[in-house]
Amino acid sequence: MKKKNIDRVVAPRPPHYVGDGFRVHNFIPGVNGLSMQRMDPFIMLDYNSKFYFPPSDRPRGVGVHPHRGFETVTIAYKGKVAHHDSSGNSGVIGEGDVQWMTAASGILHKEYHETEFSKKGGDFQMIQLWVNLPAKDKMSKPKYQGLTNAGINKFQLPDNGGVIEVIAGQYKDVKGTASTFTPVNLQNARLNKGGKAEFSFPANHNVALLVVEGSVKVNDEEIVPTDHFVLFKNEGEDFTIEASENAVVLILGGAPINEPIAAQGPFVMNSRAELIEAFEDYNLGKFGYLEG
Amino acid sequence: MFQNFKTYLKTKTGLTDDEFHQLQGVLSSRTFEKGQFLLSKGEVCHHSFFVEQGLLRSYTIDDAGKEHIIQFASEDWFMSDRSSAYFDEPSELFIDAIEDTRVILINQEFYNLAAEISASYRHYNEKLLQNHIRHLQKRINLLLGATAETRYLDFIGLYPDLTLRVPQWMIASYLGITPESLSRVRKELARKNFKGD
Repeated sequence: MKKKNIDRVVAPRPPHYVGDGFRVHNFIPGVNGLSMQRMDPFIMLDYNSKFYFPPSDRPRGVGVHPHRGFETVTIAYKGKVAHHDSSGNSGVIGEGDVQWMTAASGILHKEYHETEFSKKGGDFQMIQLWVNLPAKDKMSKPKYQGLTNAGINKFQLPDNGGVIEVIAGQYKDVKGTASTFTPVNLQNARLNKGGKAEFSFPANHNVALLVVEGSVKVNDEEIVPTDHFVLFKNEGEDFTIEASENAVVLILGGAPINEPIAAQGPFVMNSRAELIEAFEDYNLGKFGYLEG
Repeated sequence: MFQNFKTYLKTKTGLTDDEFHQLQGVLSSRTFEKGQFLLSKGEVCHHSFFVEQGLLRSYTIDDAGKEHIIQFASEDWFMSDRSSAYFDEPSELFIDAIEDTRVILINQEFYNLAAEISASYRHYNEKLLQNHIRHLQKRINLLLGATAETRYLDFIGLYPDLTLRVPQWMIASYLGITPESLSRVRKELARKNFKGD
């Protein structure tokens, strides 16, 4: 197997607010070179780097909005998010938890800081990732996979190196907890200082990592600091990360779907006509109703 | 700098590259931040604004201080106070940016020159004016006699993506109904049309 080299290291861009509760650095698709096509099947990645939100009686967040055509994956590192949707589902995503929501044919939801967290205030750190669906699954039934940290399958690294949380895909002999529509690897490497992990993905998969905490040395050569994103080349399979200090790193890899992408706002479809249909359906209440 | 406007003119009016080149000199472009005014009541409107990117609204404020939204303009739409510009009168309207917006400023010189060099442009502009009158007639009729639901259905036909770009109260203001009525209309549509569990 051949080494997978770094294509580029990307520093976080200035943050912007999504609603009033998510202060995010956008990486996909806003950064030059991280387009939806290049990162396929990952079509959006917003990163709320660690940020202190002062106490608030009114929970901050994002009001009612629809999604169609893809999955939203929310990974919580600090703080808590409460969500509600138009089918009556609701829940709380806490530290270390992951919510994998298949919006598919369409869902309306809202996301807010959880009430108690909001009242106390505190550090907040999250990732929201959008994973595209292949054309044949875009109009399938919406569903949720709520993964608590305790329920996520884990691989213990040797020599007290740390742990790999296998959210999706596979690490060594440990299979991911979430089911996916296409081959997707999503893993949190929680490494102790000096801990080292090796990863191997097919060369044609689009592979990246984001350093959420601490810093790591990639392939024994490049030191990547906190909040930086690494895109790998589509050549070679194997890379390593080694924690220069205690570190948390999100690893993402996926087989490209290689279908046309038509995206506007919260809808990601294959053609302009399907986008127009999505707007029409949303406006006519076909996604349901959710009180703001 | 004028890429969207150029594409718009070429596709809609059949203007050629050469003709656009001749007109380019009288055009200018400007960026407005969200909340910034392009026109205030009492000013004479000297331009038409073509939205390259972003979103504008025009509105009036009544004697009780309430806003009434007359029109929205997103990408590839024009916005202006035509009567103020044509009759050189102070405007009754406010125009402001709802999102950070880049517009092309189109002055009378552009209209004169375009009409002079391109028959197809002249023809298109005439059609645009007639279409505007048709739209206003329809809007008056809906405001006088239609139910809130009919007005909303007309709105989403005209502005399919705006329900996700502007707050509910602005849509309600455009429709001449209260935000509560709009919420009822949307809830009722969902009851009729949602086929979920």
